[in-house]
Amino acid sequence: MGREVGIVGVGQTHHARRRTDVSQAGLVREAVNRALADAKLSMEDIDTVVIASGPVLFAAVNQPEKWVVDAIGAQGKSVVRLTSGGGAGFAGALAGYYQVAGGYSERTLVVAYDKLSEGQLQYSISTLYDPFWGREFAVGIMGFSAAYWRARMDVLGHTEEAAAIVAAKNRNNAIANPYAHQKKAVTVEDVLNSKPLCWPIKLLDVPPISDGAAAIVLASDKVAHHSTSRPAWIRGMAYCCEADNAPERSLMISEPLALASRQVYRAAGITNPRRQFDVVEVQEPYSCFELNYYESLGLCPPGQAAALAASGATQIDGDIPVNPSGGCMGANPIGAVGVIRLIEAATQVMGRNETHQIKDAKLALVQSGGGWANLRGCAVLSA
Amino acid sequence: MFYAPDTAPIELPTFHSTIAMPYTLTPGHSAGIFLAEMANHRIVASRFTDGKIIAPAQDFSPTDGEEPVELVQAPETGELTAFTRVDGQIIGLVRLDGCDNAFAHRILADLAELKVGQRVAVRWSVEEAGASIMAMAGFVLAPDAPLGVVKPLVGPAEPLGVVNYAMELNYEHAYGPYYGRLFDEIRENGVVMGVRGSSSDEALLPPREIDDITHKRTGTWKACADTGTIRACSLINMEVFGQTRPVPYAYAEIVLDGASTKMIHIIEIDDLESAKQTIKPGTRVRAIWTKGERKGAVSDIERFEVI
Amino acid sequence: MGLSQVAVLASAQTELRPAWRDAQHIDLISSVVTSVFKGTGITIDDVDFVIDSGSDVLDGRSISNCGFLGALGAHHKEEARVEEDGLWGALYGVNKIRSGASSIGLIVAYSKPSESDIDLYWSSMVEPFYQRPVGFGQKAALGIQAQRYLAAYGIKDSALADIVVRRWAAAAANAWLAVDFVPDAAAVLAAGEAAAPLTKLMLSRPVDGAVAILLGNEDVARRMGRPPVFITGMGTSLETHSFAERSANRLDSVTKATAMALGKSGWASAAEADVVELSGSSVVGELLALEGLGLAAAGRGVDAALKDGVNASGGALPADPIMATGLVRLAEAAKRLSAPVRNGASAPSKAIVHGTGGVAMQNNCVFTLEV
Repeated sequence: MGREVGIVGVGQTHHARRRTDVSQAGLVREAVNRALADAKLSMEDIDTVVIASGPVLFAAVNQPEKWVVDAIGAQGKSVVRLTSGGGAGFAGALAGYYQVAGGYSERTLVVAYDKLSEGQLQYSISTLYDPFWGREFAVGIMGFSAAYWRARMDVLGHTEEAAAIVAAKNRNNAIANPYAHQKKAVTVEDVLNSKPLCWPIKLLDVPPISDGAAAIVLASDKVAHHSTSRPAWIRGMAYCCEADNAPERSLMISEPLALASRQVYRAAGITNPRRQFDVVEVQEPYSCFELNYYESLGLCPPGQAAALAASGATQIDGDIPVNPSGGCMGANPIGAVGVIRLIEAATQVMGRNETHQIKDAKLALVQSGGGWANLRGCAVLSA
Repeated sequence: MFYAPDTAPIELPTFHSTIAMPYTLTPGHSAGIFLAEMANHRIVASRFTDGKIIAPAQDFSPTDGEEPVELVQAPETGELTAFTRVDGQIIGLVRLDGCDNAFAHRILADLAELKVGQRVAVRWSVEEAGASIMAMAGFVLAPDAPLGVVKPLVGPAEPLGVVNYAMELNYEHAYGPYYGRLFDEIRENGVVMGVRGSSSDEALLPPREIDDITHKRTGTWKACADTGTIRACSLINMEVFGQTRPVPYAYAEIVLDGASTKMIHIIEIDDLESAKQTIKPGTRVRAIWTKGERKGAVSDIERFEVI
Repeated sequence: MGLSQVAVLASAQTELRPAWRDAQHIDLISSVVTSVFKGTGITIDDVDFVIDSGSDVLDGRSISNCGFLGALGAHHKEEARVEEDGLWGALYGVNKIRSGASSIGLIVAYSKPSESDIDLYWSSMVEPFYQRPVGFGQKAALGIQAQRYLAAYGIKDSALADIVVRRWAAAAANAWLAVDFVPDAAAVLAAGEAAAPLTKLMLSRPVDGAVAILLGNEDVARRMGRPPVFITGMGTSLETHSFAERSANRLDSVTKATAMALGKSGWASAAEADVVELSGSSVVGELLALEGLGLAAAGRGVDAALKDGVNASGGALPADPIMATGLVRLAEAAKRLSAPVRNGASAPSKAIVHGTGGVAMQNNCVFTLEV
């Protein structure tokens, strides 16, 4: 159905706590240079560009794509920016996907970034709250994320231990990731003993704050071969939402993620995600979310995520490794993360992952999202 | 648009909201050096492979994104290529001698004196002497100024790593009839009122015209009780800018009796460990209203406490 | 499988007012999302996805879409926030339906500039090291753009005033716009200085409002019982951020976007359009857009601007709901192509629609529509 779209080139910056040598525009340029080189293309070969970043209040430049366009040499091209909180990068990639699938473009460059060191992350993200109704209580997205985790603790058994297993797994996986900057070995005990920030979220449950950019080149099946003989084909991709303050909102399962996965699995022919996927990359703004994704993505039934984490199956040597790249724990330039996860998954199925190549990986699952934990999507890639 | 029964437009003032925060912006290499050299009264430009010279210095050519070959020093004189006046201030485009582009800056003259093509020269600022493009106060007419030349940049300063910046955004939000009544009832009667959902008796908080799920009109107004149940909560143990009380305290999503959706508020706690036992999903709480005069805001409820 | 054609099924907008003092964003949004379905036989349940255009800076809220999802009708659907004028949201929606992934999409755009500091919206859009500190922003750029244009072509500001008057008169006749006075040419020239040589009335007037467009594939469109209004071409182009580096007296991005759209629609030129709805941040910007569309030679925009069929809605000068203006143009053009005509009159069958964004119209988007 429609045209096939594949990822044919990837590039990301070496993410850092703070890049003092480049502006936001320079950061984007780095990722774009790398992705174009990887795709064996120049900017002339690109038809359209999608730029994605987190909320503009992060870095004090409104509609930054209008500035960044100069740095990447895309003047004159079709350029649009998408934003969606933590899901910005994924949302940008999805818009790019449809530009190719819809015949508007043969090759679309998607670049996503955030330079979080420019601003006050917690304060600016707190402005997602309604100014009339609750903003004065906002503690960034940590306050409500911790609260939703607390609710899942009793009902679904998402214990502090289970989240600590996830946090330790991802932090340790990140050590081998050449693009990550947070590389410290931790044990489950270390996580459990770390300082509570918004309990139950503790210091080591929280990813770093990062500056970083990531870019992918999407191409139609017609021209993909110019860049690579083994594109990562997008077999399904969707991004759904739920109203943030509605009576039936489930704090247990992420319904938008479940809806997106249902749509994507149908498109990609996935009937048994637990068995079929070789590798999974998810965006965990806090460790507790990864447990929620196991269930919402159908990798295990509700209430079984803790057991899945404890079983070792999602460890790097398990039968369904989740976040072999280290996930957000290694680097978290929020608006770029959706594209970083796509890059890590794409390079797995292309057989060229730089952190830890999962042997014979053919089918990958990617998850991303943001907002009030109410914007969620996923994608299936295969080579 | 339609108003549900009991809802009528109220002549309310707007709700003022301010978003203000500091930033540490990173200029990058070329701009970093340009800004640093402003303190030395030197104007730094970029030279590209095709010989083009762009001022102020850029890491990427504005025409095609190419990277520059080297940094050079531009002269202080140039040509006025365009101008306008906004709020009494003249902004013009100036092309420095030897450079290929023009850039925007202030023109320190009267509109009536200006003509496109005139020669202008930098006037350095007395008050603002630091690493900012405003170290140049602006450009003045310099009809007899000789043609300046672009020179090599000898001993460039270290690039400025960060620029301190601040943004303050002020808003005047309309209440609309629903929030208008909500906060009117909070102020006048010390009662939290929502509207019934499109297909349920429970009240939606905050009230709104259209149900979020069904996208149908909501129902009649309903008062919620002062008591409620915690649906989700976390224990805040870190300091963040803008907090209204000292840590630790509990952040809670509370569903008031009679409502179906949450309101967010806080519960004071003594310490983390005991709070983990006493404050959890399902805990019953009661609103503690302010003793003083109510203003018609969420803060008219000071906090909640466990019952 | 071939790519589907996409049609505008219906549109709805709130009245565009200088200030909607008794409505919040969600009220404006839910109003158009409710109204757009009336008479179509389609409901919100039939919609596969929602694309929304809005601005965090104007809304005073980060990730503002996520607080408005219920009002947008997006609950449990696919949603995307395009932080650019709604016409770019429509472009996304068209691509999504063309791909075959969806059959019906809802495009919404809104803003309430009355609630925020509009100057700060624009000044925060220019880069912060060189341009912002000197006070360069939208007004300065538009002033310079106008100064150059008038000087280059010897256009008198009385000619500009005549166009402004014509637009405001059209707006006063447009039921969807709140216009309580129609300035005459003298009033336009006497209005306070905004950015020399432009007076306040020569800049577009920001207003509050929301607009929704329902898009559908050909199959759905043909069930609606009247000839579909197909979107036959789309193009967009973004120029350099450095205003001084852009071509003087031309909007190259409009020319590029037009060429892209015409290439898809197969029209020989934009002059094939019976209906022209274009945006403009100032009266000179509107003229430059007309010339970029190819509807007038360089410097001759004033002739095209006064033609029947050009901005019959009034265009953006009397009513510019920032972030929604281009989508309102699409709604106006689609309505005109669907409207019945009096006996003897020839029915308009083609429209060209233009949306813009960025300081001094840095970003431009062009659609062609056909019945």
